[in-house]
Amino acid sequence: MISRLDGPNKVTGRARYGADNNVPGMVFGHVVLSTIAHGRITAMDVAAARNAPGVIAVYTPFAPLRLRTPVSPFLGATWVPLQNTDVAHYGQPIGFVVAETYEQARDAAMLVGVSYDERPALTSMRDGLATAQDAPPAMDGAPPSLAVLAPGVESIEDALAASPVVVEATYTTATQNHAAMEPHSAVAVWESGGLTVHSGNQGSDLVAAALADALGLDLARVHVVNPFVGGAFGGKGAASTPAFLAAAAARDLGRPVKAALTREQVFTATATRPATVQRLSIGADEDGTLIALRHDSWSSTTATPGFVEPTSHGTSREWYATPNVAISQKMVPLHVPPTTFMRAPGEAPGSFALESAIDELAVALDVDPIELRRRNSSVAPPGKDLQWSSKHLDECFRLGATRFGWAERTRRGRADGDWLVGLGTATAMFPALRFPASVRVTLRDDDTAEVATSGADPGTGLLTVLALIGAESLDISPERVTPRLGDSALPPGGMSGGSTATASAGSAIMIAAPQAIDELLALASGPGAPFEGAELSYADGRVLAADGRRMTFGEVLRATGRRSIAAVGSSAPGEEMTKHSFSSFGAQFCEVRVHRWTREVRVSRMLGVFDAGRIINEQTARSQIIGGMIWGVSAALHEGLEIEESGRPANGDFASYLLPVNADIPDVDVAFVQYPDTLHNPVGARGLGEIGVVGMAAAIANAVHNATGIRVRHIPIAIEDLLD
Amino acid sequence: MRPFELTAPATVDDALASPGTFLAGGTTLVDLMKLDVLTPHRVLDINALPLRGIDAGDGLRIGALERMSDVAAHPGVYPVISRALLQSASQQLRNMASIGGNLMQRTRCSYFRDVATPCNKRVPGSGCPAIAGANRMHAVLGTSDACVATHASDLAVALVALDARVRLVGADGERTVVLADLYRTPGGTPEVDNDLRPGELISEIVVPRLDWATRSTYVKVRDRQSYEFALCSAAVAIDVRDGRVVDARVAVGGVATVPWRLPAVEAALRGAPATRASFEDAAAVAAEGARPLSANAFKASLLPRTVVRALLEVTEGDRA
Repeated sequence: MISRLDGPNKVTGRARYGADNNVPGMVFGHVVLSTIAHGRITAMDVAAARNAPGVIAVYTPFAPLRLRTPVSPFLGATWVPLQNTDVAHYGQPIGFVVAETYEQARDAAMLVGVSYDERPALTSMRDGLATAQDAPPAMDGAPPSLAVLAPGVESIEDALAASPVVVEATYTTATQNHAAMEPHSAVAVWESGGLTVHSGNQGSDLVAAALADALGLDLARVHVVNPFVGGAFGGKGAASTPAFLAAAAARDLGRPVKAALTREQVFTATATRPATVQRLSIGADEDGTLIALRHDSWSSTTATPGFVEPTSHGTSREWYATPNVAISQKMVPLHVPPTTFMRAPGEAPGSFALESAIDELAVALDVDPIELRRRNSSVAPPGKDLQWSSKHLDECFRLGATRFGWAERTRRGRADGDWLVGLGTATAMFPALRFPASVRVTLRDDDTAEVATSGADPGTGLLTVLALIGAESLDISPERVTPRLGDSALPPGGMSGGSTATASAGSAIMIAAPQAIDELLALASGPGAPFEGAELSYADGRVLAADGRRMTFGEVLRATGRRSIAAVGSSAPGEEMTKHSFSSFGAQFCEVRVHRWTREVRVSRMLGVFDAGRIINEQTARSQIIGGMIWGVSAALHEGLEIEESGRPANGDFASYLLPVNADIPDVDVAFVQYPDTLHNPVGARGLGEIGVVGMAAAIANAVHNATGIRVRHIPIAIEDLLD
Repeated sequence: MRPFELTAPATVDDALASPGTFLAGGTTLVDLMKLDVLTPHRVLDINALPLRGIDAGDGLRIGALERMSDVAAHPGVYPVISRALLQSASQQLRNMASIGGNLMQRTRCSYFRDVATPCNKRVPGSGCPAIAGANRMHAVLGTSDACVATHASDLAVALVALDARVRLVGADGERTVVLADLYRTPGGTPEVDNDLRPGELISEIVVPRLDWATRSTYVKVRDRQSYEFALCSAAVAIDVRDGRVVDARVAVGGVATVPWRLPAVEAALRGAPATRASFEDAAAVAAEGARPLSANAFKASLLPRTVVRALLEVTEGDRA
């Protein structure tokens, strides 16, 4: 195991993030936000701002920077600011003030006066349920509502009615903001007709395409650079408002422009995970065998419908063996900040509902919750012929139960002084996906290699993984491999999202490396080369001839006067998709303590055991899971963006949008069962970037129930939920 | 932030001679200036003034510019004070924030801190969106129809329980005021937090000697374990002899517009057996007069529970 390669640079402050770039002549932009949720801007008084010290330009919908709406097959249309006077949510970007210094831009932005023609805003999920609409088809093209019924069963209602035991409940989850440590920012520089943008994102080639589209530029003239990304979590997939505005203003002004959102602005000027309402009905036999599962879901979305959180499609559609399953997905358009993917979109809030309901069924049947899950484990998603390629969920539960001391659990928890102690568990699943990716592998004459792709490492460990898979594929030590990421000039690596990067880029490396080696051997045996005409093989970084002669690849390159040899490999999902279903799996456990008097919930122990195929680098893999599990604690006990009736976020800053602090998080125990899944991809690794968050909220709510006997069906769980 | 003039007077007389806004640790003032909530033209950095020192000889005297972290770590400080301080803010903030500034910190009401919304405390007469808005963190005691903002200081709750006084210096000389009397409930003038006169400066905090306050504690109930304001807190000191409560001090925070002393609870405790049952009986009146809002009715239930928990913890091993 090698340590995270970017770790030393990050902890010493040497890593240079987007906004850390400073360019001669650079000026600074500050974004102005709307203070209504719905209506039209009738006028903007920019005179005071324009006359403030250092101000160079004030852009508004009345004096805009011209931007077109970029559309990509992957992300759909991306909203661009300042193009019209419509306001569709509170805190929407409506202006951009550019000045010689950051402080001048920020202070002048406070002087911009805005007049609105305000219209009634619909901001409450509860109020909007009545006018909910069918969601668009799911990511896999499935219709929003679908049912799989056993032969002879007419409807899910019939199946539920025929079930001896039925559990029914409605669960809700809160709006969340990604709140990455690095706020969305950009430094845009125009030079000799080309644009360079330094901006943290999840895929530099995708952002370059969006900027080229928005600015009406040839893609070849746009260069996006993001060697380091300070967290993304789905919130930096699309190009950001600062990137669009900095790029357009830099062109307009002929000077480099830096723009960064403030922490408070991030809450409304980027995007959020939608709020959800979910109604679960589970019908089972007395022994706990599922007969029917119904999961109806509602997700908030923007007034012009955008992203919808696919809670039922992401969970109940596939997780359990049941002869009858029916799911539906509706959306509730609201005047709220944009919605988008957030770590385990669908699975995280969906599993809170499903895995709470499974726990409620276990309580109703007086069956151990792990045993109930084991009895209903699926070999394939219901109604599908394609079996899971490699599923070891039962082993995760077995191992986890032993490691966590699950056998000590009692039906009603236990007391430790004035603390009520409970244990909870939940299943986690996240689909194993791949995106198309291309990687360039280069052998250099100093006996080092480079592995390069445009993709991003937003803290996931991808950089380290590239070095490891590169080293393995070239049969050299990882220290000799230089991984490169985060530059749109490199072969397109797609998006770091969907827990896909290791499988996608790794597979491409495994195609590129043999090609590079083949070229090396051809070079070595070519006319005039050291091994002219010889049959050659390659091992341990060396070219080998049958007569025992050998040279390192660097020696071959030097002897033939070449600096390097490079090959680009591309991979994409293929035929395997017609043969199996693919998912990562996990069993998650937690212990909570609830104070008898004042009812605070504190997590005292956590464990996650995961089946994610082969683990390439255990250190970064564990970090991913630990981060996900902590996020699960956050969702369960702390985090939620509260949108007021006016559309204003009531807690849009880090003083009031609560995340757990160190004192809230105990040691987090993580284990992996390692069964390489080469049916999915040649690397054998499935994704694990998102699965860590998936089961935690339900595990915690289930533990709270075990400790207190109180079932809380919404997150975050607060003290008042546990008071009499 | 608006441009301002910054000066650093070297003496108290200099500080009092030039009108302006005092800057000590800056942990509240700078925040509110960035948010455009406070827009002083003149800021006086008072950190060079000789308002330092902690003297625990007879009672406690603390210079107003002492840092929260230093006061918390001082061995002569009553437990209720150090525990209130150590559960405040973060270590970084405690290293910066002064003890006088802590007592003067403004409310954390999100409407007060957002100039895009009305707020009677910030702009008198503009209205109070909290009353019908996001009010889970707000007060249930000492409120008015104009303002329901909670007083944010933990330290002030502990000091009010201990009958602390503050020494004030102003252009007209010095005076000493009981801290509890300095704070004002909002009534019809929520823009006035306290009875400090214009230009007056806190020079010292004086805690009268109370030997049995060595048995004291501060319980803070909040949504996370650290770095968060109280939903409810309780400062208690108690004198238990032979299983009976001889005397007690109880004040609560997070629930009221000012640090809130509970004399009725103290009276009910006096002479009662030191038992869980009598603590519960005494605490039952803690929330009397509470005026719950849409999202904070639970505080009326949490408040007596917090008081009971604090009493139980401080009498651990010494109950009847």
